This record gives sequence, C-alpha cells and structure tokens, in this order.
Amino acid sequence: MMKRKKSARPKLQVQNEKKRSRGVSQWNIAWRRFKKNKAALAGALIVGFIIFLAAFDSLIAPYRPNDTPGFYAGETRVSPSLKYLFGTDYVGHDVFSQVVYGARSALFVGFGSAGIAMSIAVVVGLISGYYGGFVDNLLMRITEIFLVIPFLLILLVFLRVITAVAPSGVGGLSTIMLMIGLFSWASNARIIRGEVLRVKESEFIEASKTLGASKRRIIFRHIFPNVLHIIIVLTTLMIATAILVEAAVSFLGFGDAAAITWGQQLQKANEAVKEAWWEGVFPGLFITLLVLGFSLLGNGLRDALDPRLRE
Amino acid sequence: MLRYLIRRILYLIPLFFGVLIIVFVASRIAGDPVRLMTVQNPRITAEARANLSAYYGLDKPLYYQFIIFLAELFQGNLGNAYGIRAGTPVATLIGDYAWLTFELQLAALFLSLLIAIPIGVISAKKQYSKLDISVTTTSLLGTCIPIFYMGIIAIILFSYFLGWFPYGGAHSILPATYPFGSYELDGLWHMALPTAILTFATLAPIVLLVRSSMLEVLRQDYILAARASGLSERSVIYKHALRNTLIPVVTYVGLYFGAMLAGAPVTETVFNWPGVGRLFVQATTKLDFPVIMGITVFITIMTLIANLITDITYGYIDPRIRLE
Repeated sequence: MMKRKKSARPKLQVQNEKKRSRGVSQWNIAWRRFKKNKAALAGALIVGFIIFLAAFDSLIAPYRPNDTPGFYAGETRVSPSLKYLFGTDYVGHDVFSQVVYGARSALFVGFGSAGIAMSIAVVVGLISGYYGGFVDNLLMRITEIFLVIPFLLILLVFLRVITAVAPSGVGGLSTIMLMIGLFSWASNARIIRGEVLRVKESEFIEASKTLGASKRRIIFRHIFPNVLHIIIVLTTLMIATAILVEAAVSFLGFGDAAAITWGQQLQKANEAVKEAWWEGVFPGLFITLLVLGFSLLGNGLRDALDPRLRE
Repeated sequence: MLRYLIRRILYLIPLFFGVLIIVFVASRIAGDPVRLMTVQNPRITAEARANLSAYYGLDKPLYYQFIIFLAELFQGNLGNAYGIRAGTPVATLIGDYAWLTFELQLAALFLSLLIAIPIGVISAKKQYSKLDISVTTTSLLGTCIPIFYMGIIAIILFSYFLGWFPYGGAHSILPATYPFGSYELDGLWHMALPTAILTFATLAPIVLLVRSSMLEVLRQDYILAARASGLSERSVIYKHALRNTLIPVVTYVGLYFGAMLAGAPVTETVFNWPGVGRLFVQATTKLDFPVIMGITVFITIMTLIANLITDITYGYIDPRIRLE
C-alpha cells in the first residue's frame, strides 16, 4: 500500500531508491543471510531466553537466592513437583530458583572472560600480523607458550591459593573470569593474525599505502573492519568456552562459594546421584543449552558474515 | 626427514622453558608457600617459619630457586610430597597414577579416531542427507555438553537406573565382586563407562572437523581431475581425498591430546578414577606444591611429546611441510 502511494509521487521514489541502494551494506547482507539460517536463529533465541532469565531472575524465581523453603518443612531432596518445579536439594533449596539465579553468573563469566581474552587476542593478532618480522616472531612464540600451558591446572591452583590466603570474597567470580580471560586468548590471536596477513596483501591496502595513509589509519580504518567478522564469531565461541571452563572449575569445588553457579550445583549433585537425580540434571541442562546457544549463534554468524560467501 | 625432526625438537626446547617459567611464576605469585603450608596452624612462630623457608630454599631469590628447580628436574627429582602420602618422591607418586590416566585417555582417543574418521567421511559424502544432518547435530551437541555432565547423566542412567556399570573407581574393593572372579575383567568393567563418555566427547569435534575438511578437499581441482579420468568414487575418496583430509585432523588431534590431559582432573573426578588428574585435585586441595608442580610439568612434557608426534605425522602425510 505504502509503495503505491509513493509511486504516485515520482520525486519521492527516486529519493527512496537512492536510500535503499546505499542501505545494502555488508551488514544488511549478513542480516539477510542470518535470518534464513534456522539453526542460528534458534541459537539467538536460546541466548535471548537465558539473558531474559538473568535480567529478571528475582521476578522469575519463586524463592530468594539463599532461601531454603524445604528445610523446615522436611522437604530436602524431594523430587520435582508443582511446588518445586525441579525438586529440592540437600538443604532444601528450590533447584528451579537456583538454576534461574545461576544464569547471571554464567553470563557474567562468559561475557567478561570473552571480553578480556578477545581484547588481548585482537591487539596481539593485529600487531603481529601487520608488523611481521621480529615483533611477529616474538609475539607468536609467546602465543605458543600459552597454547601449550595446561591452563585448567594453573587456574585450579591459583583459585585454591587465593581462597587459602586472602579473606573470603577475593577468590570470587571476578577472579575466575579474569583468569580465564588472561589464559585463553592464544588460539584466537593466532586466527586473527592469519586473517590480518590475508587482508594485508589486498590491493586496497596497497592503494591506501600509496596514497600515504599512516600505519595507524591502515590498521584501524582498513584492516580492522575487514577482520571484524572473524572477531565477532570468535567472541561468540569464546563465550561458550568460558562458560564451560567456569562450570568445570566450579564442579571441581574451586569456584566462588558465595555465588550461585550451575557448576557448583552439579558438584553437590555428583555426591548424590543415587538419591536425587534432579539436583544435577537441570543445572547441567542449562549449561548445555547456553553453550549450545552461543555455538549455534557463532556458527550462524560465521556463515552470515563471511564476505567471501556470496549468494 | 631427520633434519626436519631435529629442527622440531630444537624448537620445542624454548617452548618448554617458557611454560616452566610461567608455571613457576604463577605458583609463586599466588602466595608464599610456607605461609600456605602453615595456614591451618595458628600457633606457629616466626622462627619456625624462617626455618621452614631456609629448609626449602625459599629464602633465596626467585631466579636462584628456579635454577635449583631446573637442576633437580633434569636429574629426575621433583621433590617429595608433603600432603599426599607425605614423604613419597613425587616422581614415584606420578608413576603410580599415570598409567591409569594414559589407559583411559589413549583408549578414548584411539576409539574416537577409529569411529570419527569414517563417520565424518560418509557424512561429507552425503552432504545435507538425513544421515548427515543427524550426524552434525549429534556432534554439535556433543561439543556443547560439559563432559562432567555427560558423566553424571551416564552414571544416573547406567549405574543407578540400570545397574549395568559401577559408580566409579578403577577396581572393585572386594575380590568377591569381580565379574567371573577375574581381576582383568573387573578393570575393563570399571573402564567401560568412563571410556565411552570420553570417547563420545572426543569424537564429536573430530567428526565435525573431518566432515568440513573432506568437503573442502572434494571441491579441489585434482578431485575433479581424478573423477574425470574415470576413477571409481571409492578410489577418489579413500585414496586421493582422505590423505589430504587428514592433515588438519592430525594437527587438531595433537593439540587436543594436550587439552585432554589437562582436562583429566574433571573426567577423573566424575568417575572417581584414580589417575593423575584426580591426584592433582587432591594435591591442590591440600596445597601440596611439589605434587602440583610435578603433575603440571609432567602434563606439559606429555603435551609437547604429543605435539612432536603430530609434527612427525604431519611431515609424513604432507611432504611439502618436510621440504620447507
């Protein structure tokens, strides 16, 4: 309807067309591709759902974080019912409420660690790829060291020591987030470097150099936007990895005792597989769901953002 | 080939030192070991602390400590444990536990390669078929489920509800409960569930990798040429394409084996498997630093050896790399 109206006024239509032809950017193409990808949309939906849970956790959860509604009623380790959607655990926590509160911790560690890791990875990748030579050599050797390090082991020791020495509260989720970020940038830096090397050889970089652009301008104005799609994809996948690592650390009992995390719920549940299967099944399901969401989203973004793939 | 090999080994040495330095510094940054040892003892005097420091050489500067650590390391001396089986040399302790870890990890790695490569190839061959979609979906799910969760679910299903497998451990406590009275069968019976879960977790990413790598290779010109010259499909895929498909897979498996070993604490805790991983968790809980350092160094060396084997296989599969 709108269209026909506009076609009655030719001047407007021309303007409109101009606007549209300018509007079809790489991002628009990517969004169109993304919309067609059902798996990617499902991933976005899952991630959106968990973010929703985390944002409105106190409204969604029927009990407050440290409430033990089942404790005085003698309802510890009761199986799922309408009153306790996912059952209760060993001290009478409502497992459903705990799962809802766990969403925030998982997202906090996921986004935080990925942010730290990717910032390092981008800086190392850009510098190493663009400057080459000695700088590249040095940075890549350091990267290789970080690739070989048994990082989970170091993380466990660090967290254990911090909780032994420092007053409670220091070895919290933020420390875990920071440590995961500091130790998991290496493989991403390598991939970004490879991508920078590929872009660096392009003709438009050559042209820009010929025109006398500064190194800073070339890196930030020409190379960075051209590797941005890889960075977005890697960040999404990094979030998934960080969530898995945090869950593993909490599961082993080195997590933040003051926070509610899915990994810790699984740790408690592991001691009670014979008595209460629901204690572990539901938190684990949510870890899987969230990681799956970010993986699907990452894979979908990879297909959508790759400039080499065209319809 | 020999020159290539020597170059690779020389290349690993600085890498090893780099890792050692970071591990050493990280363990020192975390806190003064003497203070950690005595944190549960409120009545300890400053003098006793100083004595302990002197005894362990902790009053010397950090670089000096590192040199001593290195010198002892090359003589195979990793120190004595003071938390777990106090007084036992760490090397002996690791030796007692390492075999069980290897048994589990190598069995899983071997099985997963054996299963993943054919599945990945078939899946790529029939891209977008129902089989392919179910394979990729299952594999993607396999990469998203935390391994300890998979373990817990398996224990709930197969040990609790069905009662087919034991809840954990590497052997029954009482010989009377051995199946058919055989110690070996008992070991296999305990190993089945952890191996199956670890295999599935390892399998999933390898299947996806083989599939995408195969698809990439099948698009190459030489495959078209092979088909054009009238070779059978079987010959094209298994003789011409597979070899090139395996190059990224080999790289991945080398890196992945290190990750598997470093992930051993998680796997072994779920199944209560008495390997170095669980030993590491216990040592960390008790702040037993010699054992912690020992296991970290041990796993690093194993990772580097896996990398070396990768490089060798790599040079064997792809002659271009060797000549470079």
